[in-house]
Amino acid sequence: MAIELVKEKWSNAVATVVIGATKEEGGSRATVVKCAGEEGLPFLFAEGKIPNRPVIAMEIFDLEPDDWPESLKQAIGSEIKSPVDWALKCEKEFKADLICLRLSGAHPDAQNRPVDELAKTVKDVLRATGIPLIVLGCGEDKRDNEVLPQCSQAAKGERILIGEAAQENYKTLTASVLADGHSIIAQSPIDINIAKQLNILISDMALPLERIVINPTVGALGYGLEYAYSIMERARLAALCGDKMLAMPFICFVGLEAWRAKEAKALTEEFPAWGSQIERGIIWEALTATTFLQAGADILVMRHPKSAEIARRHIDELMVV
Amino acid sequence: MEKFKITFFPDNKTIEVEKGKTILSAAISAGIHINSSCGGDGVCGRCKIILKKGQLVSLPTGRITAEEKKKGYHLSCLAVPQSDLEVEIPKESRLDSETIAKEDGYLLRLKGVYSESEDVAQGESILGEEIFIHSPLATKLYLDLPKPNLEDKISDLERIYRAVRSYQAIPVLQTGIANIRRLGELLRSSDWKVTVMLGKRNGTTEIVLIEPGDTSSENYGFAFDIGTTTICGQLIDVNSKKILGTKAAYNKQASFGSDVISRIIFAQEADGLEKLHHAVIDEMNIMIQELARENNIDLNDVTCCLCAGNTTMIHLLLRVDPTYIRREPYVPTANFVPVIRAAEAGIRMNPRGLLGCVPGISSYVGGDLTAGALACGMDKTDKLSMLIDIGTNGEIVLGNKDWLISCAASAGPCFEGSGVSCGVRASKGAIQRIKINPKTFEVEYATILDAAAKGICGSGYIDAIAELRRTGIIDRSGKINPGLRHPRLRQGEYGKEFVIAFKEKVGTSSDIIINEVDIENLKRAKGAIYAACSTLVRHMQLDFDELEQIFIAGGFGTYLDMPNAIFIGLLPDLAREKFVFVGNSSLVGARQILLSHEAIIDAENIARKITYFELSVEPQYMDEYVAALFFPHTDLNKFPSVQ
Repeated sequence: MAIELVKEKWSNAVATVVIGATKEEGGSRATVVKCAGEEGLPFLFAEGKIPNRPVIAMEIFDLEPDDWPESLKQAIGSEIKSPVDWALKCEKEFKADLICLRLSGAHPDAQNRPVDELAKTVKDVLRATGIPLIVLGCGEDKRDNEVLPQCSQAAKGERILIGEAAQENYKTLTASVLADGHSIIAQSPIDINIAKQLNILISDMALPLERIVINPTVGALGYGLEYAYSIMERARLAALCGDKMLAMPFICFVGLEAWRAKEAKALTEEFPAWGSQIERGIIWEALTATTFLQAGADILVMRHPKSAEIARRHIDELMVV
Repeated sequence: MEKFKITFFPDNKTIEVEKGKTILSAAISAGIHINSSCGGDGVCGRCKIILKKGQLVSLPTGRITAEEKKKGYHLSCLAVPQSDLEVEIPKESRLDSETIAKEDGYLLRLKGVYSESEDVAQGESILGEEIFIHSPLATKLYLDLPKPNLEDKISDLERIYRAVRSYQAIPVLQTGIANIRRLGELLRSSDWKVTVMLGKRNGTTEIVLIEPGDTSSENYGFAFDIGTTTICGQLIDVNSKKILGTKAAYNKQASFGSDVISRIIFAQEADGLEKLHHAVIDEMNIMIQELARENNIDLNDVTCCLCAGNTTMIHLLLRVDPTYIRREPYVPTANFVPVIRAAEAGIRMNPRGLLGCVPGISSYVGGDLTAGALACGMDKTDKLSMLIDIGTNGEIVLGNKDWLISCAASAGPCFEGSGVSCGVRASKGAIQRIKINPKTFEVEYATILDAAAKGICGSGYIDAIAELRRTGIIDRSGKINPGLRHPRLRQGEYGKEFVIAFKEKVGTSSDIIINEVDIENLKRAKGAIYAACSTLVRHMQLDFDELEQIFIAGGFGTYLDMPNAIFIGLLPDLAREKFVFVGNSSLVGARQILLSHEAIIDAENIARKITYFELSVEPQYMDEYVAALFFPHTDLNKFPSVQ
């Protein structure tokens, strides 16, 4: 006798966020990415439609990152020195769905690059590539409030995803995003309430809910992964139960977190018993990524091309109904 | 009746007293401080005086050395004048032995930290005051005793007992040895006309004091609400039950720590407990003195005092080490404190007067809440009720006559006007109502007693936040919109601020403002209180909708805008008519207990009945708290009327 699976009925769907705009839509992208829109829990196709597969954005920097392990830099190749080349390689060779450009050079402690130079980098990357773009600031509120509005304007029409807004600093960015037709990343510190509060604050400024992506802040394997997982799970359950203020896609900065872990970075010579650092790092990032897919991640921001490939294959398998 | 003049040195103050009163009593009437901690039992030996001129009789005591005796030393509580006197109060009797604590106190006073207490406006109490029969903690009875003769030769003490029992059926009467020692002489010198003070002490009735003459019409008591941030005292005519005056002052213990935990920690330091004890006693004594003076009342006629306070405050009041309140498993030394002599705690009134404390519930839910529940009649109603006492420690009671449960959450002192930049207590001149014009941002406000504005009190802050939010000046997280330009909006020392009243207009030394830090503090306070309510309701598997009446208590003075309190998310979004603003319910309860023995029995039952729900071990509370850190709440569905 066949076993009848118990199916949950959900009353609400996650909003669909569109990133990128084609020529017809006023942009210049060859492809656009539709994010989320799930009507049920991740990969439970019987309970609700999963109209869009999770996507992978590959993270690039405007300056060559100085804290990446050698093996990770080598995996990118010499293109790491130029954001445009790096972006192209991600698109053509690494098969990224999106580019995630982090403007680390804007930071006052880094090069404090001038605003117009940074805006030009954004434009250059857009010109060179055909896939949608995510732009991140340097993380220093004051500087970001100078830089990001200019970058937003430079990318006007391209429907980029831009971040990050936080509870203490969301107004400037929201206003830019609203004016230039982009979407926003709302970051909260692994706290479902703050995530929701920030979404309400942003939507109170008249930004539609379909233009907000939640960065719930995650931790890598061994560094709070379970906690982040449970926060995402709770938020997603609330969303599916009808809470529109939490029904947004999740973006997870998997690469950022995984490559901070000692287990990913430590050299083979330092810990021979841990095995090859090259493989270890890749697996650390890949495992962190696949775990968050199960928690409902819609956009994975990754660094190592191999890890990204593993995650992509994993998504392929999971998306088979 | 014969009277004597007593002059005290070095004060050089003279007072006239009836024959038969002790020198200690005379000093108290004259407003002169002599140490005394046993309440006139002649055992502590701290009330020494030196007789310079005149005649007195004194009972023998082991507290005066032979050498002192030669110099004319006597214990003032045992010495009764026989003629006009001149006495000197030696240094050791003037300063408390805990000089460090006192000097600290003087220092604080000089620094202005010890501000004067001030009159507070009390709203007309809507609480049923008449539900308990009149039987005060201390009563006075005038006895015109028949003189003994050969037919009627029962002893002096029995004579008194017999007379007392002819008024009231009191099977068990007690009297201290100090009274008995003086009795024979006193009765005869006062021509058998005496006033006895009867005190209800822990199930028995004690003849606390026997005074010459008829003082029965003068019997006064104090009710105190000893809060972590604010101390509120009320003078009551015990005979007529009339309230003669109410004062409030900030609890000076705040300079040793703003919350109970930091004070418990401070109490463990050297002299810490002394300092904390003196801070509260000093403030109470100042209030007693001022209220007595303003009402022309002799401190000797203040016979009883009833205190409601949280458990830590009561420990500190009685100088009991509060250490174990803070250590697992959080057990206080005493929840039910027996009635003691007020002097034993250092309270200056009639030295034999009584001090009662409202029974507490647990380490973190004190007698103030018992008193509040009593005042609201929560133990007598069929209706499912909630009492929310908005203080430094937000305290909640939920239940009805069949069951009661309570919890406490640390909210901070800002609703009491402390810890916020322009905060003041709900007293004369405090801004308590605010309206902001949505177009011009002009502010209309009203102050207590329509006096010149001096700051903002709790109810004013509730209005301010509601109005700032309504006009879009602040967002739901309490941040001032940086895009707005207006003369009232500016960058202040502590971030962005909004000017409620300009100094030129009100004559204050600086503008009355509210800034983002204040709003953040108020947001946390309201979040803690709301989260405590919702966690408690959820714990009982109830819904806010099921509550039939909600009593709101706190030092808000005469006014609280309920719709605004709901609008900012301090109170649950329920039908407005379910809310009853009861003001300082703890003080009302303390007064009821002071005036009725019945009420103390009820209070004890309430304290025994209330189950304590510990929020700190409840993981859900933190979640509810963060969700409540938003105006009105992260879950907007909980506030359908505030969309």
